[in-house]
Amino acid sequence: MLLQIVRRTAILLASLVVSSVLVFAFMVLLPGDPARVALGVNASESAVTQLRQEFGLDRPLVAQYLSWVSGLVRFDLGTSYVSRAEIAPQIVDRLQVTMWLVVCAMLLAVVIAVPFGTLMALRHRRPSGLALSALSQVGVAVPAFLAGILLITVFAVKLQWLPANGWTPPNENPTQFLRQLVLPVLSLGLVQGAVLTRYVRSAILDVQREDYIRTARAKGLGRARALRRHGFRNAAIPVVTVLALQLATLLIGAVVVERVFVIPGLGSLLLDQVSNRDLIFVQDVVMLLVFAVLVVNFVVDLLYLVIDPRLKVGAR
Amino acid sequence: MSSEPIRPTGPLDAPVSAAPVVDVAVAGSAVRRRPGASFFVGAAIVVLVALMAVVSFVWTPYDPTFVDAAVRLRGVGDPGHLLGTDKLGRDVLSQILVGARTTLFVGIVAVGVAGVIGVPLGVVAAMAPRWLGETLMRGIDLLLAFPALLLAIMFSAVYGGSTLVAMVAIGIASVPSFVRLVRSGAMQVLSTEYVLAARAAGRGPWAIGLRHVLPNVSGLVIVQASVSFAIAVLAEAALSFLGYGTPPPTPSWGRMLQESQELLFSAPRLAIIPGIAIALAVLGFNLLGDGLRDHYDPRLEDRR
Amino acid sequence: MKHIRIGTAAASVLFLALTAACSAGSGTSTSGGTGGNGGAGADKNLTVGLVAEPASLDFTTKDGAAIPQALLDNVYETLVKVDQDGQIKPALAKAWKVSDDGKTYTFDLVDNAKFSDGQAFTAKDAAFSIDRVKKDWTVSLKASMDVVQDAKAVSDTQLQVTLNKPSNNWLYKMSTRVGAMMTEKGVADLATKPVGTGPYVFQTWKRGDSISLKANPSYWGTKPYFQQVTLKYFKDPTALNNALLTGTINVIGTVQAPESLAQFEGNDKYEIIEGTTNGEVLLSFNNGKAPFNDLKVRQAARYAIDHKALLDTCWAGRGTLIGSMVPPTDPWYEDLTGLYPHDLAKAKALVAETNAAATPVRLRIPSLPYAVSCGQVVKSQLEQAGFKVTLDQLEFPAVWLTTVFTDADYDMSIVAHVEPRDLPAVFGDPKYYTRYDNKQLQADLAAADAGTPEEQVTLMKKAAKELSQDAAGDFLFLLPNLIVAEKGITGLPKNAITESFDLTGLARS
Repeated sequence: MLLQIVRRTAILLASLVVSSVLVFAFMVLLPGDPARVALGVNASESAVTQLRQEFGLDRPLVAQYLSWVSGLVRFDLGTSYVSRAEIAPQIVDRLQVTMWLVVCAMLLAVVIAVPFGTLMALRHRRPSGLALSALSQVGVAVPAFLAGILLITVFAVKLQWLPANGWTPPNENPTQFLRQLVLPVLSLGLVQGAVLTRYVRSAILDVQREDYIRTARAKGLGRARALRRHGFRNAAIPVVTVLALQLATLLIGAVVVERVFVIPGLGSLLLDQVSNRDLIFVQDVVMLLVFAVLVVNFVVDLLYLVIDPRLKVGAR
Repeated sequence: MSSEPIRPTGPLDAPVSAAPVVDVAVAGSAVRRRPGASFFVGAAIVVLVALMAVVSFVWTPYDPTFVDAAVRLRGVGDPGHLLGTDKLGRDVLSQILVGARTTLFVGIVAVGVAGVIGVPLGVVAAMAPRWLGETLMRGIDLLLAFPALLLAIMFSAVYGGSTLVAMVAIGIASVPSFVRLVRSGAMQVLSTEYVLAARAAGRGPWAIGLRHVLPNVSGLVIVQASVSFAIAVLAEAALSFLGYGTPPPTPSWGRMLQESQELLFSAPRLAIIPGIAIALAVLGFNLLGDGLRDHYDPRLEDRR
Repeated sequence: MKHIRIGTAAASVLFLALTAACSAGSGTSTSGGTGGNGGAGADKNLTVGLVAEPASLDFTTKDGAAIPQALLDNVYETLVKVDQDGQIKPALAKAWKVSDDGKTYTFDLVDNAKFSDGQAFTAKDAAFSIDRVKKDWTVSLKASMDVVQDAKAVSDTQLQVTLNKPSNNWLYKMSTRVGAMMTEKGVADLATKPVGTGPYVFQTWKRGDSISLKANPSYWGTKPYFQQVTLKYFKDPTALNNALLTGTINVIGTVQAPESLAQFEGNDKYEIIEGTTNGEVLLSFNNGKAPFNDLKVRQAARYAIDHKALLDTCWAGRGTLIGSMVPPTDPWYEDLTGLYPHDLAKAKALVAETNAAATPVRLRIPSLPYAVSCGQVVKSQLEQAGFKVTLDQLEFPAVWLTTVFTDADYDMSIVAHVEPRDLPAVFGDPKYYTRYDNKQLQADLAAADAGTPEEQVTLMKKAAKELSQDAAGDFLFLLPNLIVAEKGITGLPKNAITESFDLTGLARS
């Protein structure tokens, strides 16, 4: 067990190192001289050279990589090429915004997915189940930004119930914050909810085939009660795994909804910095994201280790 | 329950997401059932999209890229323009027809890349010595950390924005789902008695891989391909919205939707038509995947 | 029991995530500003929606139109200003005299202007600002100050500037960002804390969202009406429209989706202001290499373009047709749209004569809305004349800048040149990406700069005509100044011909 934890930790660290190299290499490949893009159309040649020196872009790549990584380890994310502002506080700022959006959307998704997914599994092959299943398929098929645009058109522009877009920090004006949060959370949450519903359905179907449910039913428990007693907790395992990973990838994945609703989140930040060729900024954001996903993976692995004795032997 | 932790089988970014679970099961051991309604509905939609694409090679009402200021913004049912025209005066029906080609291209490239890389890797990961298989899977986990959307944007920035580049990126991001699926399928096949018998008869790993493993996981691969196809179509739409999708002048449903935004009030049809096309295509491939899964997966037997 | 443990674990993970998000709600504001939302309600607050957010606030080291748009005339002031008719008017300089040789300018400055850090504005600051352009600025715009030999403070309120040679452009440039007056104590952190003498002081910048300005209580001139102005940035033109429709903003500063204006027209809650800008949308030719080094090929392309149809199609008919690189608000404007009327037959004949159809030409456009829209129309029109055109969309700014602008690896491109009076910059320098090398034109431009104001007008007219006749590029149209505002907001400029979005004169009736 302990050995397993040590092993997984080592794998996590190795993965982080490899991914940092990958991320860095990718940035080097980006066409467009960051110094020139930072300075704009009419920059003079000497100014470009000066900026390259200032940010150390003229150093060998290995030196650039090492100084970036050693900064990361010390939580020093460096200074932006373009705005010359500290990067870390900006990422934290944007991350807060995105977290609100993503966490609320995933909550909504759970609220939709658990009852409907269960119902779909229980009524598997009955008309009501099939209808729900079809509905979830349609939900999955609608692009999130289309959902967003439609919601805006109806609820903001036509009915004037809610603001069409924008972001207000909650401590500044809580009412406005909530009003502005509703539509983006809906458009992200409904689509994610449809996706999650299908995972829930599948997990419950799996669980229903397990021996302990069969046993419980043989003892005379009804389908629903058997499931309530024994099924949900086990079905929760894969669903929570999926949920956690969805959360991590949505940090960037929410970008389209952020764009539609003009929300200054992490994804929009990343897109801006890609187009500014603010390489160190992009590297930091991507690395943060990779870090999040890898850590979620790691935690999930540990959880499985705790719950499933078969994994302890290391047969994966 | 399967000892393999269930992971999302596709890139899970919000817009690009929609990856229903593909259950791990082996086709060879399945009791095949008659395909259900979702299979037929899905297949019908997919055939429709394919037909549109084929027709567009032979005939479109107009050149879809031809700009004609004289007939801008004609409504649906306009004589000569069945689905009307857009703000540049291009015929919408012609664009939808040719756009079906782009949609198929998008899916085929993404699924092709994911399959060509993912399937062999999955088989190798299952058959190779443990250390190698384990290392491979760790690499695949790492890839999972780079979401599809992110990869596609970075690839577009590096290699220039084109449908091909974006979809290769989406394909690469879908590799992990194929590898994981094929690997666990292959492992089940490898533990079956006939494979053990084949081993005992002295067949080499190549022969076993090609003759026993691959044919038996093909059903799984087809299911996953169908689901990945749908994901790729959604991804193209999302990327087009962000300006990293299919560049003009090639007609694409995603870009039609994006271009129509400013006209949402005066000409909502310009958003609705490609919107329906995209949703329908995604629905079709997902339903097809579902139907195929019911067909191949023994565990979804009716238990009533 | 294991099942219970995992259930609890799942719940706590969810709970942790939630609390993290909730406690993270401290907001995006970089300082405790009042924020710009709900501006619609308060009478003395104004929120303006704009499209391009600056990446930095320092226009001395960072190029781009977004920074002066927000800061010039609002936070920073200049010695002279340009009015709606293109005439140079006093600002921080009450009056000025030019010596007979045209080389020495003596400015009398206002004596009651103050920087936002409390210091008085003096001639020393003016001299410092001008010197600093030559010394510390890194953007190439600084070249407009190369002509300055010496700037010195004669007294606290008198500044004397000596030029190497007479230059009409110089005084004009003093009304642009290079003429911004700064103080030595205020330049330490230009990228985040601008200090100027203007009617507004910089308050906060929520990156990715908005810049807030508040009225300068000790402003020396007429105090502005609005106490608080928020410039809110939108990537997406549709989102910008929706923000006005739902009352999040009061004004759309620049409409980027002219097709969408229909929803504001005929609605008595809104008012549309339509005028001109300095933004010439140029179909640029690479004059330096085949096939566009051949006058006849260039002429063929110009005849092939149906400008009226093009404007109607790709910019909803909003904008002005121009026949050369001069907007109607410049003193040397004349209507040259008749030089190359749409003539498909002539275009076809020229294409055939020059065999221009033998190789496809590359139309490499930046990924900007007007370029993408117009690019497809241009391609279609050129193809009708027999050209073969491949359309490449290049990511803007990074890829387009490197490929087209720096390396001139293109045949044709489409880009709006928005700098005021930019004809000399775009066509006077053979190293510029247009690769246009016309010695006569260069001589005329130099003479226009050095001559009397009358000579300047005559020679600039000559240059503009020469340029157009020689088909150095095709001038597709002039971007319109399109503003949509709530009814009752007054003082919005009809023509946007300066680098700033000037908030000074705005009020609510």
